[in-house]
Amino acid sequence: MDSLVAQYTRPAFSEAGQSQEEQQGLSQASPELSLKFALPPVAQSASWLRAMTDDYSNPNCPIKIAHGTTTLAFRFKGGIIVATDSRATAGNWIASQTVKKVIEINNCLLGTMAGGAADCQYWLAFLGMQCRLHELRHKRRISVAAASKILANLVYSYKGMGLSMGTMCAGVTPQEGPALYYIDSDGTRLAGNLFCVGSGQTFAYGVLDAQYQYDLSDEDALELGRRSILAATHRDAYSGGFINLYHVKEDGWVKHGFNDTNPMFWKTKLEKGEFSNVTADLV
Amino acid sequence: MASVFTGAPPQGGPGYSFKQTPTVALSGERQHSFYPYTDNGGSTLGISGADFTILAGDTRSTHGYNINTRYAPKLFKIGGEGPENKGSRIVLSVVGFAADGDALKERLDTIVKMYKYQHGKSITVAACAQRLSHILYNKRFFPYYVHAILGGIDEDGKGALYSYDPVGSYEREQCRAAGAAASLIMPFLDNQVNLKNQYEPGSGTGHDLQAKLAQPLPRKDVEDLVRDAFTSAVERHIEVGDGLQMMIITKDGIEETFTPLKKD
Amino acid sequence: MEVLLGITGKDFTIVAASKAAMRGATILKASDDKTRELNSHSLMAFSGEAGDTVQFAEFIQANIQLYSMRNSMELSPSATASFVRGELARALRSRRPYTVNLLLGGYDKIADKPTLYWIDYLASSAPVPYAAHGYAQYYCLSLLDKHHHPDIDFERGMKILRMCTEELKRRLPIDFKGVTVKVITKDGIREVEYEDDVKVVVP
Repeated sequence: MDSLVAQYTRPAFSEAGQSQEEQQGLSQASPELSLKFALPPVAQSASWLRAMTDDYSNPNCPIKIAHGTTTLAFRFKGGIIVATDSRATAGNWIASQTVKKVIEINNCLLGTMAGGAADCQYWLAFLGMQCRLHELRHKRRISVAAASKILANLVYSYKGMGLSMGTMCAGVTPQEGPALYYIDSDGTRLAGNLFCVGSGQTFAYGVLDAQYQYDLSDEDALELGRRSILAATHRDAYSGGFINLYHVKEDGWVKHGFNDTNPMFWKTKLEKGEFSNVTADLV
Repeated sequence: MASVFTGAPPQGGPGYSFKQTPTVALSGERQHSFYPYTDNGGSTLGISGADFTILAGDTRSTHGYNINTRYAPKLFKIGGEGPENKGSRIVLSVVGFAADGDALKERLDTIVKMYKYQHGKSITVAACAQRLSHILYNKRFFPYYVHAILGGIDEDGKGALYSYDPVGSYEREQCRAAGAAASLIMPFLDNQVNLKNQYEPGSGTGHDLQAKLAQPLPRKDVEDLVRDAFTSAVERHIEVGDGLQMMIITKDGIEETFTPLKKD
Repeated sequence: MEVLLGITGKDFTIVAASKAAMRGATILKASDDKTRELNSHSLMAFSGEAGDTVQFAEFIQANIQLYSMRNSMELSPSATASFVRGELARALRSRRPYTVNLLLGGYDKIADKPTLYWIDYLASSAPVPYAAHGYAQYYCLSLLDKHHHPDIDFERGMKILRMCTEELKRRLPIDFKGVTVKVITKDGIREVEYEDDVKVVVP
């Protein structure tokens, strides 16, 4: 009988305070980027999360996660151009106009951010850590193909849990040359020359496709990337703010400013006569 | 019998909420009844200056149209000595679901204190900011229902301010309003702190206008801005009022002030 | 995935409409003409709910022609647009509204100016320098924002149209079987030969 009781008895207050594991988690300062996530105490955590956070299927959801974007990247003879807008929206509320949607994974690898801002920030930081570990273990830089695959496999393992990200990895390595990959939270991973991601993607594609060539000069390529994002900020309400421009070259990336779209729009309109549907006169 | 007092909800009985919680996966379309959140209203605000950061929050706590209390602080000192957090240089403000806010504060505070014990030095705001992001993201699939703002002094002695979404995306900013009256306060801050839509007088008309450039504001001006923002928000939002708690972080420590707000 | 495009220039209006007639997953016809001539200087292109489109277009066509016969003069493009909008708005408040999106290309002989009206199924109407309906909006408006100028000549207009259709061919998942292109100038309406089987590659 005693053994039977012992089997079903737990020490009093065993659940009070923090568990052994939780205490360990607190005393260790390092496991910041971990793969252990708290889950709600329900059977179907994925659909529960969707009910709480997905403002598309449930406009009254209590937790609004920042969304909405235009990002683009394309390969050309001088390397890779990466350009993004800087607006974050939660429903109709503009949460921020100064988001850095280009994430510097290391000095020659860039990631872009579309979808859930936290998902992209966290997992690209995690990818940065994995890339550094690869460098330390193998004494050479990770290829873009391998880096993007780490990310793709990672997000695929969380498929159906509600991650939302559409990201591009751009980098130049000696073995691959300039390489560009698209990865999204469905688990898609594609290599390619040109991608636009986000709610304003079609508008960016419109301008970019029309003048894209592999043989573009550095100046023309930067201008085309900039102009494509400007087009998207003009037509897509979920995009706007500032244009973040990067040029990835063999010896690492170079930043080409974080510029306000508003003066840029008026300069483009008044000096080049574009955007002819907008009136410049005060009626 | 000790086994009665386990933390898990009894099988078949009421679950974590008073409504029925599913304990086994059922097939077909289902409604979710597990709702562990509530919104306790209120608003917070942070502005950073050249050598200081101010965080502020009202002290009203609501539940629907009811006022729970007129003094529930939303500002917490992080990582000082003892229960009073003496010598702390970091302040966390949380708005949204107060219980989650409290849990988050406890977590960050413990981690920041452990950091000091283990490393023999205080954590930098930049590191603390990133750590907070990871704490929030660790509950990505069961989020803290909070908007957090973290303030401090960076390694160059400049005012630092970081703002977060509920799942941990974060950004360093000059100013940020969060909570119920964010949509009332933030446009005011854009105009008065970042000088958005303000132009140099006499610089021309129409497209020739030169935009004013934002520079860090003096402490006195910022304190006045904060008070103006909150007194105005109180006039137009039912969940904001009662009292204004302000914490001013400088290299010398944290000064705390309290200003009464309208109590209707 | 129906495509409607309109571009005005110095002395012309180009209207293009996709040639595919689609029902569900089937293309029933690959040479459909989604335009109707209302009078000698205005052309209406339409897309939307099957059945509604042609019914509405031909109803408008008949009434505009009736007006011309009764009054021995033609309605100006702006008046035509007002009439079309009015009929659509009236139908919108009826038991069964028309679900039709329209582009009204015209040439105003009195003002000596090309015109283009964008009208949607909720009877919003707007005079515009260039326009698109459906998915084409998402790809072409940004492109037109960049390349369109009010005083372009016909060749330039056709070049811009080519950029638009190539972009649609490149990015739309469903083949819309090319476009019929019609031009309205001071001399009236004419159809333009348009090469549809130009090969485009996705970069």
